[in-house]
Amino acid sequence: MLRNFFKVENPKGVIGLNRRNIEFIYPNNQRKHYTLADDKVKAKMILHEFGIPCARTYAVIERISQIKSSWSKLQSHTKLVIKPAKGSGGGGIKILSKGRDGTWQSSGKTMTDAQICQHITSIISGLFSMASNDVCLIEECIVPDPFFAEIYNEGVPDFRIITLKEQPLMAMLRMPTSKSDGKANLHQKGVGIGVDMKSGTLTQVYDGKHYSDHHPDNENSVFGKKIPYWFTMLQLAKKTAQAFPLEYLGIDLVIDKIKGPQIMEVNVRPGLGIQLVNKCGLQRSL
Amino acid sequence: MNVPKQYKFILATLGLIALILGVYKANLLVNTKTTFVADEIYQVTYRYFFKTDTSRTIIRAYLPKNNVRQEITSQKSTLAPTIKFSSYADGTNLRGNWTTEVNNSYESVSYSFSFRGKEQFFGLPENFRPVRKGMEQYLGATKNIQVNAEPIAELARHLKQSTRTDKETIQALFAYVHQIPSAPIITLTDALGALERREASCNGKSRLLAALARHLGYPARIKGGIVLKESNKRTSHAWTEIFINDDWVSFDALNGHFAYLPANYLELYIGDEFLITHTPGIQFDYSYEISKQEFLPMLNENAKGSQQLTAFSLWGLVKNKSISKNNLFLLLMLPLGGLIVALLRTIVGIRTFGVFLPVLIAFALLETGFLTGIVLFLFLILFVGLITRPFDAMGLLHTPKLVISLTLMVLVMALGNYLGLAFDISWLSSLTLFPTIILTISAERFSKLIVEDGFHKATGTLLQTLLAVSVCFLLFSIKGLDIILILFPEVLLLVISTAMLLGRYVGLRWSELIRFRPLLNIKPL
Repeated sequence: MLRNFFKVENPKGVIGLNRRNIEFIYPNNQRKHYTLADDKVKAKMILHEFGIPCARTYAVIERISQIKSSWSKLQSHTKLVIKPAKGSGGGGIKILSKGRDGTWQSSGKTMTDAQICQHITSIISGLFSMASNDVCLIEECIVPDPFFAEIYNEGVPDFRIITLKEQPLMAMLRMPTSKSDGKANLHQKGVGIGVDMKSGTLTQVYDGKHYSDHHPDNENSVFGKKIPYWFTMLQLAKKTAQAFPLEYLGIDLVIDKIKGPQIMEVNVRPGLGIQLVNKCGLQRSL
Repeated sequence: MNVPKQYKFILATLGLIALILGVYKANLLVNTKTTFVADEIYQVTYRYFFKTDTSRTIIRAYLPKNNVRQEITSQKSTLAPTIKFSSYADGTNLRGNWTTEVNNSYESVSYSFSFRGKEQFFGLPENFRPVRKGMEQYLGATKNIQVNAEPIAELARHLKQSTRTDKETIQALFAYVHQIPSAPIITLTDALGALERREASCNGKSRLLAALARHLGYPARIKGGIVLKESNKRTSHAWTEIFINDDWVSFDALNGHFAYLPANYLELYIGDEFLITHTPGIQFDYSYEISKQEFLPMLNENAKGSQQLTAFSLWGLVKNKSISKNNLFLLLMLPLGGLIVALLRTIVGIRTFGVFLPVLIAFALLETGFLTGIVLFLFLILFVGLITRPFDAMGLLHTPKLVISLTLMVLVMALGNYLGLAFDISWLSSLTLFPTIILTISAERFSKLIVEDGFHKATGTLLQTLLAVSVCFLLFSIKGLDIILILFPEVLLLVISTAMLLGRYVGLRWSELIRFRPLLNIKPL
């Protein structure tokens, strides 16, 4: 209808939510399998089963009565992540590390055991997952590869690779910024960096409004930077796509300093912003 | 658009069925078309009960006639074989006459008819043409219209003093009579009596207005009839007519209708008469049974094709009183409103709280009025969204918390209703018109959205919901849409086919044109 007033050309083959749902998600992802990806605990079970590297699980807490005993068993670790199994958009995720005085620290603030248990209770109550209850996942904290520090040295950056029928279509690197509170999501003020799939190099930085050649917090050019382990990551993405009975996926990976590429999570309804980051439509990448 | 083959078959079938039914009924409708388009329709029954005299007993009553603004059909008289009924012309009036020779027996007669009425507005020029000859009988004094009595003459002169035109004079007379306090006086009040007692019912006021007009040289007369409304009543009504530029113009100084006759005024007779007269000294009682009829202005129920049309549409449901016209309309509008919201979501790309919430809110707005309704809706969503925040902080489970929100919503609505009633604020008492449960869920989602996406995005969604509400409201306000939907419910088949097409729409939403602007070439034509 708007086409009566405007001539809209779509030379880059950009797809919208309508086409994503009708042509990508519905024919490729059966609803009964969504939970395999939406529930991080179930997803990790599949990953473990197929021997795909991912963060080590320290504890899965399903009941409020288990919180105290589970938490006391985790005190030997110095760094860990607490997250809701069915959370979305990074809500409810807390990265904890032990300070010098032996207390747990999160985003620079001390958290008492009582506060941590309260947070786990909230997760189990379903506060972060649009459901009446959830499961709390406590796992190993990834230490990002030094490669990322060359671009920005805070938080945990991750790669998103879109796969269709086990073939990687498009990818981007998501990085936190000084304004994003450690989160790498585009709509939480993180930035996306485009990826050249063939050469495994970075292209341009997109902050949701503007394109540039550097991270907003420094001046270092990113264009053409070689991504470490790129072809390993592509293989990992393919292997993950094969492991799940879902044919259209957004696979999130991180690179650990020591263990290399790891699968973080799997999404059945990956967002469309990746097209903007790469200046390319998903339709054309087919 | 990517439409599979079996889709095309279903779409074509639905379209064809709708088309065939539509054309068939449109054809019937054209054939039954009326020239008299009524605003209101009533079924009226006179009922008279009496004990006959020792000799001949006679009952007389005025019967309605057709004129430019009222159409009388299906007249029916019911009576015992010993009673004779006849009707005759009495001047320009029509009179019914019931006669019986039976002595000392209890009898009852009834006369019923169907009334189709239109409202009538009269335009008044500033100055009137001179009165033509032959109007003397409408200018002179009578026993009850004391044109020349000194208080009336003085009042008429006084009222005329400060006016410059004929229209202003009539307005001054009307305003004076209108402001006299009205009182339900059953006994006869003449013009002078109405003036001196400073209170009057319809007959006193109509006579006083006629007397004042006549004194100033405007021909005036009394008109008798019944104000129709769904009831069983005994009161008849009288108003004044003034002869202005060769037209008798209606003035009802009791109910404040200046040069206007409402659609529900049944006109019965001209002149300062009594609606019923009977043999003196008999026991007599009467009532008027009036029931309002639901109808479709386009449809002439007396025409040949109308029965088929009723059978092939949903009008039969209303006629059999199994559902009211208004409820049926709301039911039929639901899918249409849903389609509008679906269009706005998949083509324009707006975000709304729920799919059918905008439709239901638009329904509520039809009752409360647009602006009041929007403000009330915003208030309910914001208020309940905010007062449930402390319960969020307690870390309660989702379902019990929803119960708390629902309870608060019901309490707020009930309180508003109570306050509205206590202080006579009509917009407050309309709070309960809103769909409570859906509103609660929206308030809940709104407060959650504020936490998740920030106040900015949450209010964005709220505003876009309001946009969808407004579009639905505009759709529902289209005049005649109710008639079309009731007579042509097959339109809903087209809603299904449109939704099927919409369900396969893969194009970019308008909001996505903005989002993906850097990757698209958008040129204004």
